[in-house]
Parts: sequence; C-alpha cells; structure tokens
Amino acid sequence: MFRATLFYVAALASAAAIAAETETVDLKTLRAQMRYSVTEINARPGESLKIVFENTDDMPHNFVLCKAGTDVVALANKQLEKPDEAVKRNFIPDDPAVILHSKLLGPHEKEVLSFTTPETPGDYPYVCTMPGHAMSMNGRLRVQSLGKGLTNLHFKLYNGSWDKLPDFSKLPIHREGDVADNLVQLKFDDYKNDYGVVFDGKIASEKDGDYTFVLASDDGSRLSIDGHKIIDHDGIHPSTDIREGKVHLKPGEHDFHLEYFQKGGEAELYAGWKGPGFSITPLSAWHHPNWAGHQEQKRDEHSGMPLIVEKEPIIYRNFISGAGTNRAIAVGYPGDVNIAWNADSMNLGLIWRGAFMDAARHWTDRGGGFQPPLGYDVLRPAGESNPPFANLATPDAEWPKTEHNQKADRYKWRGYRLDAKHYPTFFYDWGAVKVSDRYDVEGNAVTGSGKLVRTLKLDGEIPAGAYFRAASGTLHTQGSGFLVDGGKFNIDGRDFENAFVVVAEGAAAAGHNLVVPVRPEIKITYGWPMDHTAHLSAH
Amino acid sequence: MKTSPLLAGFLLSAALVSNGAPELKESDYYKITTFDTPKETALEVSSMEFLPNNKIALGTRRGEIWIASNATDPSASNISYQNFASGQHEIMGLAYKDGWLYETNRYEVARLRDENGDGRASIFQTVADGWGVSGDYHEYAWGSPFDKNGDLWVLLCLTGSFTSEAEFRGWALRVKPDGTIVPTCSGIRSPGGIGFDADGEVYYTDNQGPWRGADNLQHLVPGSFQGHPGGNKWYSKAPNMGPRPPDPNTPSRLETERARIPQFVPPACYLVYVSIGNSASFIACDLSGGKFGPFQKQLFIGDQSQSNVCRVFLEEVNGVKQGVVFPFLKGFKSGLIAGKLDKSTGQLFVGGSDRGWGARGGKPYCFERVDWSGTVPFEVQEMRAKPDGFELTFTEPLNRESAEDLTHYKMREFTYIYRAEYGSPEVDSKIPKITAITVAPDNKSVRLQIDSLFKGDIHEIHVDGVRSADGRPVLHPVGYYTLNEIPAK
Repeated sequence: MFRATLFYVAALASAAAIAAETETVDLKTLRAQMRYSVTEINARPGESLKIVFENTDDMPHNFVLCKAGTDVVALANKQLEKPDEAVKRNFIPDDPAVILHSKLLGPHEKEVLSFTTPETPGDYPYVCTMPGHAMSMNGRLRVQSLGKGLTNLHFKLYNGSWDKLPDFSKLPIHREGDVADNLVQLKFDDYKNDYGVVFDGKIASEKDGDYTFVLASDDGSRLSIDGHKIIDHDGIHPSTDIREGKVHLKPGEHDFHLEYFQKGGEAELYAGWKGPGFSITPLSAWHHPNWAGHQEQKRDEHSGMPLIVEKEPIIYRNFISGAGTNRAIAVGYPGDVNIAWNADSMNLGLIWRGAFMDAARHWTDRGGGFQPPLGYDVLRPAGESNPPFANLATPDAEWPKTEHNQKADRYKWRGYRLDAKHYPTFFYDWGAVKVSDRYDVEGNAVTGSGKLVRTLKLDGEIPAGAYFRAASGTLHTQGSGFLVDGGKFNIDGRDFENAFVVVAEGAAAAGHNLVVPVRPEIKITYGWPMDHTAHLSAH
Repeated sequence: MKTSPLLAGFLLSAALVSNGAPELKESDYYKITTFDTPKETALEVSSMEFLPNNKIALGTRRGEIWIASNATDPSASNISYQNFASGQHEIMGLAYKDGWLYETNRYEVARLRDENGDGRASIFQTVADGWGVSGDYHEYAWGSPFDKNGDLWVLLCLTGSFTSEAEFRGWALRVKPDGTIVPTCSGIRSPGGIGFDADGEVYYTDNQGPWRGADNLQHLVPGSFQGHPGGNKWYSKAPNMGPRPPDPNTPSRLETERARIPQFVPPACYLVYVSIGNSASFIACDLSGGKFGPFQKQLFIGDQSQSNVCRVFLEEVNGVKQGVVFPFLKGFKSGLIAGKLDKSTGQLFVGGSDRGWGARGGKPYCFERVDWSGTVPFEVQEMRAKPDGFELTFTEPLNRESAEDLTHYKMREFTYIYRAEYGSPEVDSKIPKITAITVAPDNKSVRLQIDSLFKGDIHEIHVDGVRSADGRPVLHPVGYYTLNEIPAK
C-alpha cells in the first residue's frame, strides 16, 4: 500500500526538478491558537516564491519576514514602547530587520505575497507583530542550496515474487517508459505486490568532490553510479533505515542506476543526494520522514484544543498559570474578554482578551501542569493573590495578602450560579456578609473597545471602615476613571504590561490602592488603554 | 497465531473431559454492549450515578457531566445524552439525593441542580472544600455515593506516590450533610474507586506503589490507618483520630507491622498483580437479587489497565474483612474507571479511558454495559477460610468424582514485601499440601484441609480439573484468598 500522505509533500521535491516555476505556500493563521499553520517553509536561494496568507482566526494578524538572526519577539515587543506610533503603522515595526511584510489582515482576509527568496542560505524568521502574538506566532523561511535533479529518467517494470533483488537483465520487461517529472516514484497503479522496477537516468555534478547518496526502501533496493555499486539495501524490510553511500565524482554527467523490488505490504522508495555546496536533495517524489530538516513542518489544526467561545460563556476549572491559586475558575465571555477567578482569595485573578484557553495540556496524557491564558494583553488588576475587601485604619494602609494557595481568612467559598445565558455569578461569604461577584462584557475587546464590567452585591451588615480594592499600581486619573500601571508581570515566559483603565463610582486613589468604600452594590469597569479600533477601521 | 504446546495440551484435555461439548466462553454468560458516545466530546467516564427515571449521570475526566437516557434498554441504539454540566476539574465522584447531583471534583464536593428545566445545571453550590490542592496532577479526589448514614466520603490521593504536600492528601474524609468534614482514615495512597458492600460497609481500591505490593481492596474502618504513612503528618489536624500512630518499618511484612500499629487495617483482598489487574478502579456490589447471576452481594472491581472486571467474595473473621478474588470478565474497550450495578435491572454499567496510562481495548474511552445471559456459569462461588483449610462453594452441582480427586487442586501461598519502595515481587512462596478433601452431600461445596495456613499470606488455588455434574470445567479456575485471620472454627 502507498501511504497517501507522502504524495502531498511535494513543494521541495518538485523545486529540485523544476526550479523555474514559482512555488506556492499556503500559510494560514489557526483559529484561537495564536499560531501559524506552517512554521517552516523550505526554499532555494533566489527562488520565486508565492505565499498565500489567509487569516482564518477571529482577530487581526500579520506576517513579517525578517533578516536571518533577528530576535522577532524582541522586535515585536519593542514597538510597545511607543504604542501610539505602532498603531499608526498597523504594528509593522519600523526596523531595518524587516525584509517583507503583509498588511494587517482582519479576520478572514487574505493577501498574496510574491517575492524572490534571499540569495544567502539561512533561516529567516517570520512573525506576527500584533501585541502579544510573537511568542507563539512565528516560524522560519529556511533557504538552502539544493543539488540538481535527475534527467532523462527511464523506468522498466518487471513482474515476479522475490525475497532478494533478481538479475533484472535476464527477465522480460513487462512495461517501460520515461518518467516525466524525473523523480523516482512507485506510482504503478496496475501493481501493488510482486513487482520490480529499474530506474536509469543521468545526474550532474558541478564540482569535483565527495557526494553522498541516501536510500530507503520497502522492500529491497540497490543504487549504482557509473556502474559502481554505491548502496546495497537488498532483502525484505521496512523503509525505516536510511542507507548512505559515498562516491567521488568529477564534474559532469553520471549514470544513475537504481533497482527496486516489492513483495508484499508497504511499498516505498526514497532516494536523495548531497554534495559540495548543497544539502540533501530528494531524487524521489517523496521525502523520507527522517531526513533531518527536510520535513515541511505543518501544525495540525487539532494539535491544540482551543476552547472557542461562541454564544455563551465557557467555564474551565483547572490549573491556570498566573491566576495566583490552584483553585482557579477561568471564564471565556463572548466579546473576547476572559477572566480567571481565584477561589482561594475570592477575587478576580486575571483578565485577558482574545482567545480563551487551550485545553490540550489538561486533556491529553495525564493532564498535569499549569496552562497560561491563550489570548493576550493579560491584566492582573487585583495583585497576585489578595482578598477583595479589607477593614483599614486609613485608606492607604497596607492591603492584606493571601498566601499563595491559601484560603483567605474570614472568607468562605459558596460556589456559583449560571443565568439563562450561562453567565456565572460567584458567591462567597465575607464574615457575616454574603457577597456575589458577577462579570459582563461590553463590546468586543479584539475588534473594538471591549470592557469587563464587574458587579459585586453585598447582603448583610457591612463593617465600618471597610474598603473594596478595585486595583493597585501607579494611578493616574483619566477622564472619569483611572489609568493604572499595575507593574509588569510574567506568565510562563510571556511578559505583560499590566496597564489598564478602571472606572468605578466613588473610587479614590489611596497610595497605590484604588479603593471604593464598601456599599451594597459596587460596579467596576476594566478596559485596556489601547484598543484595536483605530487600526481596524483604517483599512 | 501459534498455540504453545502447553496450551494445546490443556485444550485437548478440557475437550476430552467435557465429552466433546463446545467449551463455553465468558461471553456466553455475560454480554458486553458498547454504547456510542456524544460526538461533541471525549466521554472519558470517571464517575457514575443512577438517577430517577432510568437515567444515568456520567462524570468525565474533562470535567463534564452527561446524562444518559435509555441506557438500560436492550437495544443500545436507543441511548441519548444530555450535557448537564461542564468546566469542572476531573469529576471522580457523583451521588444523587433529593433532586441534587453531588459531584466530587479536584477542589470540592459541590451539589448541582437544574433550576429552570432546560436540562443543564444552573447552580453549583459548594458543600465542602476543606482539603489542600498543591497543583500536582496526581492529587485526584474521589467521591463516594451517600453511605448508610447519609455521609459522602472523599478519598484524597497523595501528592505523588510518596508524599503529602497539601492538607489531608492521603486521607479519607467524610462530609456530613451540613458540610462538616470529618477526617476518617489515614494511610491512603492512590485510590481508584470507592464503594459499599451489601451491608453498607465502605471499601476502596488502592494501587500498587510505595507500601503497596499490589493493588488491593481496602476496608475503610473509621479511625483506621490504611498502610501508607505518607500523609500521617495531618494527624495534627485531626484530633478526632487520636495520636499519630508509629510509622511502619521498611522493609517488612504487613503482618509484622500490623502487630505494631493498632490502627492498621490490612487489605481485605489483594488484587494480585498482573493475574487479576494492574490498576484497580471501581467497586460495584450486586444487590440485584439474582438478576446479575449467581454472585449476589459480591463485589465487582474494575481495572484501568487490563480493561477487565474481577469478582470478590468477602467474609469477616475475628472482626477483620478478608476474602477471595477471581477473574470475572475481560474484553472491555478501554481502561475501566467507573462502574455501577443497577440493582433494579441487574445490569453492570462501566466506563473509562486509557489516557495517560495506557489500557487494553483499543479505544481511548468507553461507556459499556454488561448483561447476564441467564445461563449460570460454573464457577467457584465462594471461598471461606476454615481453621485447617478452606471451603469452596460452587455455582452448580459438582461431578463428585472430579471434585474428590486431589490432583485436581493446586495451591500456593505467598505475600508481598511491605516497604517504602515501589511495589514488590511475590515473596515467601510456599506450596502447601492438601491433606484431605470432603465433598458435601449436596455436591455443591468442597472442604480442603491443608497442612499450613499463614496469616498475611495470599492463598492461591487452582481447580482446573474440577467438573460440574454436566461436565463443564470451571470458567475461571483460579482464585486468590487473602488470609488476615484464621477462624477458630
């Protein structure tokens, strides 16, 4: 049986054969995964390449190709130092490292990029420079010199059942002909078992030097160059072993003679060569899966398990990085706003926008470990793990802290209720006061100016001198609210600015704390200082 | 397929004794039905509970609850599912009472209810959450159904195999109806399931590892120490349990340490490693009054690695539970985790997943049902300890001649090292001599007298040559009796 998948890995192989034709690569963004569909594109120097870039995600993305050796994450993050200017440039970095870039594509937009690959072999990174995307959304254009392909390739097909290669010269030829694309292949639809093939062709070396041929086959095969046996891989076996043979060649054309037989089961034949100035170059229609660096590395759409929020919120209770607790409850809301609630401190742990969560870590294998938010612009308005309420002598007194993974004193977790649209309201007791904490989203935080609206309701006698802390950080008044610099933090290697806008009636700055005197109902709005409205409406 | 000479010889002799009658298989007595599962999800069943109106709630490792309707219907194609809840963290226990479905997840026991009649839970009310969660994946929390006192039990796996990094890891807790938590047993390692016997006594299965030579069935006696000292530091938070017991010595024998540690309750039954299972899971008691065959009030225990079910008969000797395990049924589609026996229909429902540990069966997850065909298999029904040996009771009358033949029985005794390292080989192996055989006048039971009985040993018995009156061999001719106590009479 042929392995169907092998027929589709054609981009590089045909490049070897027909260099003049423009290669086309389909590059997509993966929905809710913050990744490109292709993370490695292989090409030859000075080759004409066409990238069909399609944004199949629900948020804007771009494609920025950079010079070899560029730190693309640093490049993307650097422009956040002057965010206003970055927005005007549609987040294309103003940097000489950029070779080529797409427009900023909105959801489901497409752009075709045609260009000539660099003359210098190397790894040229590409990246999405939208804020927060670069960590996971990147790949590389691998430019490598390749050797020439076969010419004048001719095949002879024989019938017979053997355990070793027979002397084909003494057998009658069943069928013969030229191989149009000059690539060794086994696509003989008339036979699946009990046949043999002999390929004869020419191969041209440009330099005087040592050349290495590689061969893998199921079942046996043997390669000769200029009448000398280079690789003997005879017998019944699978194609997992790659055999190599070295030969010294003078410049010019040489005779290529390859014998192969198939008895039963899988039928596969891979051939290639490498030599002075060029890396492994396939001579067969298929790549061997173990030829290092020569797989086109594609990510399966299902390699992640993104939880995609549609009409109603999704709840995901598991171990969530950065939430300040082992008892987190993540909620993804329609409108591209997500939170992680901390059921130890009874407070809002994280807010982020864009994609919600990837469940693959917890839903494959044993499911261990902590998973960070999938989206971007993660905020931590209430600090790492602090209770929401406190009785303070003065409003600017030190806010109490909950030890990591410890339940807050005097608080008791009661659970949550879902309304008809499945929006949760969290319940807990604070001493004798029964508290409910609910979240709604206004607008869309990816395609517009989305905001998180938090409503706390308290039932019971509120103690004197009680404050609710809406945020902590460096506070600046902005309109009717506050611009808060909550201080940078890091989750699993991703840095977050933690700057946000808070609006709450009665809120007052008290040192680093934005506090609200406790009353039966408290409403707070959290938003991002920079939304995407400007650049999306620009095109 | 090659047939080994040994196996060929066995098949030949079996065929001869049964006079050419076709040899009956497990599937002639118990039929496994595999249900389709909801397309939207991976139904990695990890907990199960019967609901009113012939419905079954299925909790999953992905934290969902699905409610299956018509699962008892003879035709598997009539099953339908409703998603009741999602977003929970690994639901390892479900229990139903008064219109509420109680779930035990990683963090808490919560009770769920559909308040608006749309089929989905709208309230998730925390009942009890008084235990620690370190963030280690191994810290599963297993929940029981309601016990005879109306309490729920929560079993807290250790942080890994050895230690307890968060409060009450390695303990069994009881949750009272008002949500109060009562620390109840120490010494838990890695539970795989919890269930009750016919009298409502509580048992759990624990898995091979440190201080566990093999998987076993443990009797959860309030106040007891169950064998793994990893969580003993939490005695400081459990004044009701009295002072912390001395830690066991290693390496040792369980029988030796049991004499040193008064709270130590020994395994009611070793689920002998590989022969019976590798990863013990659910406990289901047959209270169907005969609708599931001739094993009334016995316990059926699942295995997550071998995807099979074994059968345990227990008795109480000198106040300690002990008994015998037999193979029962194999061929399930994935590693079994949850199982319950419907006492009204006599159907055994099972489900599970192979994720993370690997299992036989070939499917990543499954929900299946076992129905008794109505034909009684010829099996050892019960095995009881006697002062000088054992008594075996059979499901069908014996061929007296075959039952009186001494060469038709083979026995071996062995135990495991009780130690801090992982697992144990079988040690202290002895071959006891069967000195006398007496077949009862009704031809239903056999008394074996043997020359040595050892407390703490597993007594393995093979009855390959014994035939029923109608010439059938024993379907599962091997059993393993864990002898904690020797009866006086």
